[in-house]
Amino acid sequence: MAVDITLLFRASVKTVKTRNKALGVAVGGGVDGSRDELFRRSPRPKGDFSSRAREVISHIGKLRDFLLEHRKDYINAYSHVMSEYGRMTDTERDQIDQDAQTFMRTCSEAIQQLRTQAHKEIHSQQVKEHRSVVLDFIEDYLKRVCKLYSEQRAIRVKRVVDKKRLSKLEPEPNTKTRESMSSEKGSRHPSQESEEKPATEEYPEKVPAESQPELGTWGEGKGDDELSPEEIQMFEQENQRLIGEMNSLFDEVRQIEGRVVEISRLQEIFTEKVLQQEAEIDSIHQLVVGATENIKEGNEDIREVSTLGPPRSPQCGTTSGQQPSSCWHGCLSALLGPNPQGSPDGTTQSHLHPHQTLGPHYCQET
Amino acid sequence: MAAAAAASIRERQTVALKRMLNFNVPHVKNSTGEPVWKVLIYDRFGQDIISPLLSVKELRDMGITLHLLLHSDRDPIPDVPAVYFVMPTEENIDRMCQDLRNQLYESYYLNFISAISRSKLEDIANAALAASAVTQVAKVFDQYLNFITLEDDMFVLCNQNKELVSYRAINRPDITDTEMETVMDTIVDSLFCFFVTLGAVPIIRCSRGTAAEMVAVKLDKKLRENLRDARNSLFTGDTLGAGQFSFQRPLLVLVDRNIDLATPLHHTWTYQALVHDVLDFHLNRVNLEESSGVENSPAGARPKRKNKKSYDLTPVDKFWQKHKGSPFPEVAESVQQELESYRAQEDEVKRLKSIMGLEGEDEGAISMLSDNTAKLTSAVSSLPELLEKKRLIDLHTNVATAVLEHIKARKLDVYFEYEEKIMSKTTLDKSLLDIISDPDAGTPEDKMRLFLIYYISAQQAPSEADLEQYKKALTDAGCNLNPLQYIKQWKAFAKMASAPTSYGNTTTKPMGLLSRVMNTGSQFVMEGVKNLVLKQQNLPVTRILDNLMEMKSNPETDDYRYFDPKMLRGNDSSVPRNKNPFQEGKQGKHILYGCSELFNATQFIKQLSQLGQK
Repeated sequence: MAVDITLLFRASVKTVKTRNKALGVAVGGGVDGSRDELFRRSPRPKGDFSSRAREVISHIGKLRDFLLEHRKDYINAYSHVMSEYGRMTDTERDQIDQDAQTFMRTCSEAIQQLRTQAHKEIHSQQVKEHRSVVLDFIEDYLKRVCKLYSEQRAIRVKRVVDKKRLSKLEPEPNTKTRESMSSEKGSRHPSQESEEKPATEEYPEKVPAESQPELGTWGEGKGDDELSPEEIQMFEQENQRLIGEMNSLFDEVRQIEGRVVEISRLQEIFTEKVLQQEAEIDSIHQLVVGATENIKEGNEDIREVSTLGPPRSPQCGTTSGQQPSSCWHGCLSALLGPNPQGSPDGTTQSHLHPHQTLGPHYCQET
Repeated sequence: MAAAAAASIRERQTVALKRMLNFNVPHVKNSTGEPVWKVLIYDRFGQDIISPLLSVKELRDMGITLHLLLHSDRDPIPDVPAVYFVMPTEENIDRMCQDLRNQLYESYYLNFISAISRSKLEDIANAALAASAVTQVAKVFDQYLNFITLEDDMFVLCNQNKELVSYRAINRPDITDTEMETVMDTIVDSLFCFFVTLGAVPIIRCSRGTAAEMVAVKLDKKLRENLRDARNSLFTGDTLGAGQFSFQRPLLVLVDRNIDLATPLHHTWTYQALVHDVLDFHLNRVNLEESSGVENSPAGARPKRKNKKSYDLTPVDKFWQKHKGSPFPEVAESVQQELESYRAQEDEVKRLKSIMGLEGEDEGAISMLSDNTAKLTSAVSSLPELLEKKRLIDLHTNVATAVLEHIKARKLDVYFEYEEKIMSKTTLDKSLLDIISDPDAGTPEDKMRLFLIYYISAQQAPSEADLEQYKKALTDAGCNLNPLQYIKQWKAFAKMASAPTSYGNTTTKPMGLLSRVMNTGSQFVMEGVKNLVLKQQNLPVTRILDNLMEMKSNPETDDYRYFDPKMLRGNDSSVPRNKNPFQEGKQGKHILYGCSELFNATQFIKQLSQLGQK
């Protein structure tokens, strides 16, 4: 359990101050220590970088607050029906979407700019590393906030797709049978979380277009009140069949929905991975290009050496013939010298694998 | 808070560190929180404490952009708060004052690993005043974290300064009183920090007349003083709620290494113990040298490069957790099994790929996709897991191979079996002399260890003639006889003739000569290596602990002193890691192990040798 000794420290400061005064020792500025500190600090360059970084963070924060604020309204699904509760029209939602997207784009551009700038300025290695990590943090923050946005957008899109499907099931007018009319009535009850009645066109109706009353739970018979028993039976059977078929279709559609969602998720994951790999592939590309260059140079050097011919005699190397041996040295060093920057897997020493822990070998490098 | 009582020491220390890194405010995860960044500065002590507990990624998650050694060249980084985690020594304080003067960072959060003295605090205050940086020093804390937790319930007191508290340092004949005091103070400080973190006041027991007693006396005094001052006591507070009023207080048994010198020398057969004994294993990190194969190098080409690899064996590593106490052959088998199951999963994923490829063009085959989409999703989401598994398998394959090489080269299985027999007094089938003179079996150090165990556990010292014979054989084998000198002295001095000899009844049954050649693709060909089965051991320390906890009457422990700091009015044992897994000992009792210094047999022999020289 840690003990907070900050107060103790402040007390020590006071003690030291009084002691120094008693001893007559000048303490940087004397009594007005605090004012002096302010003076000390203002000429210190506030640091473009950090102030801009904080700006970006506050922007992202604003975006986040904005999204959270309107989230409830945004998601509210039935606003087109219960218009007195929902306060958002589709156009408003579109507006939000667009704003959010432009905002995110500007933020990520700002981060990129900061990054390039940070690298250009001449600073120590430590400061550079610190800044790049800070930028990583900011990017991560942006990603998290974007996730908020994409989540709610996904919900909205799903709802839109649902609605579209529902609206596709508008029955065709007049040439339909009782069944289609009753299903029409069914779809006109929006309060019913109505299951999709798939296109009733699929039922080339063998049902005689008689103006017979419907024995459905919601239909009112419009026609005559007489129904022959066979017809009743037929209608019943038809009903059963239709219900069965609709249920199975309904199940299938649900399944497809689920799959589509999964596919979209996979899509996301794949995109991410591809983007990650892009960076790595780029670096590999660089390395390969570098290696090819080196090999080319090496080959040329070898060619040079071979045209020069073998060294004349052993003693020449030690006494007068300095040239051939130095030429050999030169070639050998050319062969052994250039190494691709960094290790073959593209990592340099300052990049730490997440599974590493602090260790003596790391610190010796700093 | 009820969970706090059951939290392992590792969790407690990790939570304390995280709180410190969060500017001394309890850490709460917030997914849409703004990023805060900071710099961590530590000294070598801090580094040793943090590295087994937090990985670099976890540090990043806490917002740490850079972590630097205190005594390194550090550049000023503007607008960044710095968290310091250092010991309050003279040089550290000086360097911190220098940092303040150089205005390296924007604000300073100073955390001292163990309590800082008033005068040193004033030194810092002085420097802060001179640099006009007093308001920049945001917080100052005493963390009381001066111990290193290596596992859920095992800790070590010292690592950087273990020379100071080593067996050799305490037992050398020319130690002065002041030096002894320093050693004791260091140990007591660490133990005190341990109990503060644990949040409980122990009852202390130790044997008389040993260094352990000195430690116990000092620790008792320190705890008492702290409890007396009720307002500032470290043992009252909300985090301690559960522990405070529980009926069970922990029992601290302080044991001196001298009661049992044979166990550290003993050859081992379990995975973790072997790694510690045979490889360079330090603070949960093992360093391997892999020779990159024999390259037929033509004249004048580059030398064979040996890759140095180091691996961290952490509690996250499930394989390690499961198998660190298993006998080695079992480990080899398990690695094989893991590898096979991994390959099966990999194949599954690859198969999906081909299926998807086929179905891709067929639009009407929506129904066929049903299963596969779900499978694909689960395959993709399990990919990171799979990769992690692969990494662990590679790691353990390399480590186990390295260990196996040592076992085969030095015939460690033979040593293990033989020593077990010696320690349990069963009849020996081969004479000791044979093994010592055998040029194939083991390094000179192995032979020395074997002989010392024999010597220590013998009821009567071997006759002069025998001894001479042994000595000659040992010298022929290339051993240095200094450790033997020391052990002779120790034995004469110890007068505890009865205790060390009874190592309990241990039997190891060799399951026949293991001539299993594992199936193709296996790298673990353990021909000729015996498959030894481990039985429960009853080592002296275990026995003592058992007696004390159960309040059994036993001549050995009846004489132990009793301290209770709470009453108004009292691991200094360097426990080697080559011991069998200790958790199985007791049902229902939770045992934490700690030692002042963690060494393996090689290091111990070195210390004995140095002692023998004097």
